[in-house]
Amino acid sequence: MSSRALVALAIAYALTVHAAAPTFYPDDPIQVDDDRAFDASGARPIEGSNVFDFAEHTFFKRGDRRDVRARNVNTVDEVPDSTWFTNRMGRIRMSVEEIVRGPNRFDTLNIDDWPLVQEKSSGITPGYRVTDPSGHLYQVKFDPPLHPEMASGAEVIGAAVYHALGYNVVEGYIIEVDPARITIAPGATTVDMSGRRRSLRRDDVDRILARAARLPNGRYRATLSRFAEGRPVGYFKYYGTRPDDPNDIHPHEHRRELRGNRVFSAWLNHDDSRGINSLDMLEGREGRRYIRHYMFDFGSIMGSGSTMAQVPRAGNEYILEWAPALKTLASLGLYVRPWITVDYWEGAKSVGRFEGAFFDPIAWRPEYPNPAFDNMRGDDAFWAARLVARFTDEVIRAIVAKARYSEPGAAEHVADTLIARRDKVLRAWLTAVNPIAEPQLSAGGVFTFENSAVTAGVATAPTAYVLTWSRFDNATGSSVGDSIEMRVTDPRASVPRELLAGSEYLTAEVQTLHPDYSNWRLPVTLTFRRAGSAWQAVGIERAAAPR
Amino acid sequence: MRVLLVLALGFGLQASAEARSLTLEAGNPKPKAQDEPATRAVLLRREREEKSRQLTPADPSRVERLLLDLENGRLFERLLNPAEGFYPRIGNISAGSGISFGPAYRRPGLFGGHADFSSFAAASFQGYWMADARMRMPRLAGETASIDIHAQRYEFPDENFFGLGPESRREDHVTFGLRNSIVGGTGAVHPTRWLAIGGGFDYLAPRISTTGDGRRIGVRFGDADAPGLGSRRDFVRFEAFADLNYREPRGNPRRGGRYALALQRFDDTADNRYSFSRVEADLQQYISLLRDRRVLALHAFVSTSDVDAGHEIPFYLQRTLGGPDDLRGFRRFRFRDRHMLLLQAEYRWEIFTAVDGAIFYDAGRVASRVEDLNPNGLESDYGIGFRFGTRNGVFLRVEGAFGSAGGKHFIFRFGHVF
Repeated sequence: MSSRALVALAIAYALTVHAAAPTFYPDDPIQVDDDRAFDASGARPIEGSNVFDFAEHTFFKRGDRRDVRARNVNTVDEVPDSTWFTNRMGRIRMSVEEIVRGPNRFDTLNIDDWPLVQEKSSGITPGYRVTDPSGHLYQVKFDPPLHPEMASGAEVIGAAVYHALGYNVVEGYIIEVDPARITIAPGATTVDMSGRRRSLRRDDVDRILARAARLPNGRYRATLSRFAEGRPVGYFKYYGTRPDDPNDIHPHEHRRELRGNRVFSAWLNHDDSRGINSLDMLEGREGRRYIRHYMFDFGSIMGSGSTMAQVPRAGNEYILEWAPALKTLASLGLYVRPWITVDYWEGAKSVGRFEGAFFDPIAWRPEYPNPAFDNMRGDDAFWAARLVARFTDEVIRAIVAKARYSEPGAAEHVADTLIARRDKVLRAWLTAVNPIAEPQLSAGGVFTFENSAVTAGVATAPTAYVLTWSRFDNATGSSVGDSIEMRVTDPRASVPRELLAGSEYLTAEVQTLHPDYSNWRLPVTLTFRRAGSAWQAVGIERAAAPR
Repeated sequence: MRVLLVLALGFGLQASAEARSLTLEAGNPKPKAQDEPATRAVLLRREREEKSRQLTPADPSRVERLLLDLENGRLFERLLNPAEGFYPRIGNISAGSGISFGPAYRRPGLFGGHADFSSFAAASFQGYWMADARMRMPRLAGETASIDIHAQRYEFPDENFFGLGPESRREDHVTFGLRNSIVGGTGAVHPTRWLAIGGGFDYLAPRISTTGDGRRIGVRFGDADAPGLGSRRDFVRFEAFADLNYREPRGNPRRGGRYALALQRFDDTADNRYSFSRVEADLQQYISLLRDRRVLALHAFVSTSDVDAGHEIPFYLQRTLGGPDDLRGFRRFRFRDRHMLLLQAEYRWEIFTAVDGAIFYDAGRVASRVEDLNPNGLESDYGIGFRFGTRNGVFLRVEGAFGSAGGKHFIFRFGHVF
């Protein structure tokens, strides 16, 4: 082979490699990440230790902490449907009734005479498990005696919110248990203090009920949770992937919906949002099994501490946070953590410590560090905040009504606080990045978009938008030819005709000029692909300031 | 030409490296150089296919497995406060016992749920031991009445004695052994959750040992300056009490108070030489600051004894001051006499969940005459410490006490001070 031929081959190879990495594939942006493709039958249950989970996240930094974009977003910066997340109110218009119903398939349930098969074996809330007439398993969890309706109210509100957001949650119902209609199944068991399993007796039931809130009618209010379909295989951690699940390829600390959960958790004060409070279920048919990932246990959100009102520290500081602790120690207590002086509404026992005046969504903390939360960037938070914005006042009040608070003022306080906290979440996170969204390019070249912060009413209209248009080469991933800059004051512009003609891909870098938000100058890069006579938005990449 | 070839290949390799780099940086998986997939879905499928060939079972670390076993076995609960069954008891059985260990058993809900049984036997490396069994019926008459029946036997082989009175000298330090058996019962009515009024009786059989290691009491003291030293007596103790207790939470109070008054009568069952009466008041007040994150805790305890004509109070039944629970800057039982006054103040501040700091000041004195129980001439100390536990109780406290004539003292003790 001659030298010229070798050179030609080498150049051809180089160009091939260079051209082998298109930025956008024909199926971009994908709407579904098919993470059921490979059989996960080999997955085995993973049990989690509360103490280990606390210690490993408090004393060590787990997971990949690089400041990188979420791994599982599609090219328009959204989360495709998967076994982790199903776009619901983020993609479709849900009626108020659908949002309130959440995952539930029944309006109400009555468990009179359903056989009790086992005392609840984990967690601090008293309860037990029953089976319905078809044999399906349910868990009953009671409210604490000093705070009737608190934990059960929090549970159903949290489940409805998380379901509407897109997470997998189990069905949950508020029920009243008649102690005279509790039936103990033959073979029902409990675990004694020595850790030994033994037969469950009536006095065990009485012991459980002694720790439960008794209603004036002699019944006990509780949450009834239906066990999810499939076989439990433990829980997921907020970092890494399951080594026994072939479909789990995105490190959890880089999953958008887990990073963004920090925003939702802050909104609801879900300080117990940790891996231990998740559930992995093996579903599907033989040879095609896959793992579905659930969020569960919302009984300690919104100021509920499950068995008592939540401690004031919750949401404001980790259980063990060195800086404030050392300041308090060294000053002999003269240093006062700001959250200590917060006043809480005490008008109803069914409401825990839940307030919106002091709440700071950026400073909010779970019980201990969470790798995915720590990795949350401005673009992750923006995605989450846009979902929170879908919860209108009407929707929030309807969801709160599901808790059936009986004390005067309780529902109003919970709803008002959720609304106040929602507004703070939107102000914090819709403005943290350049809030350009919903880009559209008509066949005639009219470009429109939304400023989500302005739409949500948390920011005034900007001074101007600076648009820089150029052709885009999908093979090389770079702009081609001259770019054209224009400045508009409204979220609407006409694309220069000279760029439209003959282009397969167009990009617009959008900078937003606002006197209050200098970070909005960081551009959002939008990419459109010609689709027949129309244009399809295929790329949204939001430059985010370093964490 | 070769240069061109190298440059071209180099460019190709660089482009390939950039593609991999983009994969990492941009977040979205990018294709590999060869065998380019046609769609994003295929690309993701290939990643999963590759992982499916490398599956391994989840392998928790040894530490995680150990902790999980401990949690599943409820070991922490069994150690700290089990509801029922056998468990190891770890703690102090008296002021000078050191850490003691032993088996314990608890069985609630006996007799139709009315009675709770508990018992333990514990011993320390210092040779102290105690066995205790009691049956409590706390839920009688709709939880407005309670009965407690108990039996206890203990031996404390190395108790301090410095002589009687506030002027006793450190250099007179001797030790004695005390063995006691107690059987008795208490009954109370509870008109409200925070008030108990009741009474009880105990049969006591204390025995003093003057033999053993070190400088024992018999070397320096006799019956004249250590009443009861030379005789064996059994006693019947009668008690009436009122206890107003509205502390919150009870195990580690942040607010509220406790005001208890007890009238006791000790009758010598033999020749009636050591009978006496005693009145004791225990006052505690907790002032909550900054939503319970700071607490000013105040404690006053006064005990006065009235001796029948011609009688004495055995030295081992006299009230003492000094040690980890009262005058913390002094050796245990440093002062001993018929009457006693103790004043304590603590400023407690929460450092973080389950750990409090405390600065304290203790003052007190003993006296042979009740009129000498006045604020003048009190022995005192101050110190600083940490308490480990929860809102429901202090599991452990570590303190340093200073500023007294008794020197510096380091305290490592299970349970709260008051």
